Amino acid sequence: MGSALENYVNQVRTLSASVSYRELADELPESLSLLVRNWSILDNVLETLDMQQHSLGVLYVLLAKLHSTTAANPEPTQIITLMRDFVNRGNVEQLRFAICAFYEVCHLFTEFVVQKNLSILGIKILSRAIERIREMATQLTPIHADLCQLSLKAKNFNLALPYLDTDITDISTVAAELKNQQQQQQQHNVDANNDAKYFLLYYYYGGMIYTAVKNYERALYFFEVCITTPAMAMSHIMLEAYKKFLMVSLIVEGKIAYIPKNTQVIGRFMKPLANHYHDLVTVYGTASSEELRIIILKYSEVFTRDNNMGLAKQVATSLYKKNIQRLTKTFLTLSLSDVASRVQLSSATEAERYILKMIKSGEIYATINQKDGMVLFKDDPEKYNSPDMFLNLQTNITHVLDLVKQINKMEEEIMLNPLYVKKALGSQDDDLTSEQGKTNATYQQTNSQIFKFKDSTD
Amino acid sequence: MQVYKYQELMEKLENDELEQIGLGPEVYAQLLAIYLYQSELSKAKLLWMRMSDNLKNKEENKELTQLHLLTVALQKNDSSDFFDYIKFEWSENVKPIVEDLLAKQREELFTLMGTAYASIYEQNLLEMTQMSAEELKSACAALNWTQEQDGDQVIILPIPKETVSSVAGDDQLLKLTEFVSFLEN
Repeated sequence: MGSALENYVNQVRTLSASVSYRELADELPESLSLLVRNWSILDNVLETLDMQQHSLGVLYVLLAKLHSTTAANPEPTQIITLMRDFVNRGNVEQLRFAICAFYEVCHLFTEFVVQKNLSILGIKILSRAIERIREMATQLTPIHADLCQLSLKAKNFNLALPYLDTDITDISTVAAELKNQQQQQQQHNVDANNDAKYFLLYYYYGGMIYTAVKNYERALYFFEVCITTPAMAMSHIMLEAYKKFLMVSLIVEGKIAYIPKNTQVIGRFMKPLANHYHDLVTVYGTASSEELRIIILKYSEVFTRDNNMGLAKQVATSLYKKNIQRLTKTFLTLSLSDVASRVQLSSATEAERYILKMIKSGEIYATINQKDGMVLFKDDPEKYNSPDMFLNLQTNITHVLDLVKQINKMEEEIMLNPLYVKKALGSQDDDLTSEQGKTNATYQQTNSQIFKFKDSTD
Repeated sequence: MQVYKYQELMEKLENDELEQIGLGPEVYAQLLAIYLYQSELSKAKLLWMRMSDNLKNKEENKELTQLHLLTVALQKNDSSDFFDYIKFEWSENVKPIVEDLLAKQREELFTLMGTAYASIYEQNLLEMTQMSAEELKSACAALNWTQEQDGDQVIILPIPKETVSSVAGDDQLLKLTEFVSFLEN
């Protein structure tokens, strides 16, 4: 082993033994280039280090290994086993001193398994990594985006969904970590601009996952967060999210969902770039399935290129359903063939199939009478007097109560923030954009929750 | 009937899938059947999509293809296809799950028919359920459904099923107290 590497090992051992993790974390980035240069003998270095006692040392060896995968071309299973072992046994207390490097390891690892087509094996490892490194269950880390990416690649969302279902109240960013630690080495300058990228990616991928499992309401919320993130310039992630946002909002609401006013980026940059999608929205508004079919066919090349063709087909199906729902508002009874001609379905049998499906999923209330070929539309039979409804009400109330508590807690935090107090006392009109950003996500969530709650009660 | 009947097995299989590659067809078949039983259609569809192609197209793995056909039928809400495809020589591996699935789908279908139809031709119902005339007759009789003659065809008149569910009164009281105490503070 080269003497420089011996020095590395000795440094890690002595500083770890004397519990000077801070110092160690500050010095290690300098050795990274040395480690990368000696990629061929890194396994020997690993043998002399202990995962638990020398977690920081192992972390940088791993980082070097992942940096040199093109040169070394290691056995994928070896890297995966190593990573699994490290994530399970590494000492979190130590890793917190070099959290940026840890995030980088996760990003590189994600890239590596995606490249090797082994995404499915990375899912569990990353979920474990999040589990261990985050400070609370509602904290978003840059690793979340990686986990979602792997889940999408592997088409397996079982592990990612619980993370997505958790509402985020805090975000761990590289920029904040750097500020906390005042670690400003020149050689190893982590690009803090990536924070925005991983934040946007998380909401974009998350929206895609929810769309795939057909939880469109939640998908809409995720895309909304992505496109309404305060920004001066447009990110391509936001543009793609905007296209999907438009389509999903057609499926959920039948029109463009409400977008908060503070997002000039959408009007200025995104609308002109998504005009095909706006055409789709306009045609959807005419409620003509035939024209919608034609426009989807016309733009099929664009939709296929954007990988949105499947979603476009879902939009087409949703219009049939919307039109049938509209009929229930006007008619009490209607013959099946009339239904077919009014919503432009090809035959009475097909209309019957749609209606049956919608009755099953509770989208309409109706009974079909095959004897005279009629459909009888009924009102919602819910009388709000059943135990089920009471239970529903209860869960909704509990949810809202929890949100109120959460908001009160966050408000208190802000009011006690010295920076806020200083600003509030200094000049009253000063904009508190930075604090607002933090609560924004929760606030939106509350709003939609309250609306939902209203819907189910009125 | 409980949806969580196969929960444990499912969790084990899901875990296996995340930790190993090159799993055998029997694992996928079981998982697919459980997803269908739990009405997790999107999960079933995704599972099929992520299965490797050399598992799907082989003659000896016909069971997998058959399970996929069931998924598609359920997705399209095409019960006649579903009950047709489910008539298959299932291996011991998935047989109990598929039997439960069949029973569950039958029950669901009859519940749906009860709410969605005021009258339905016996011929159509036979096709949807893929049952023999006698089987259907006894199933309808068990639900107290009557029938009448319309020309030379028989029309069945389904009755909506009453749903009963109950929550303990104490529990409700506790919740209400909680809400009131919140509002007062």
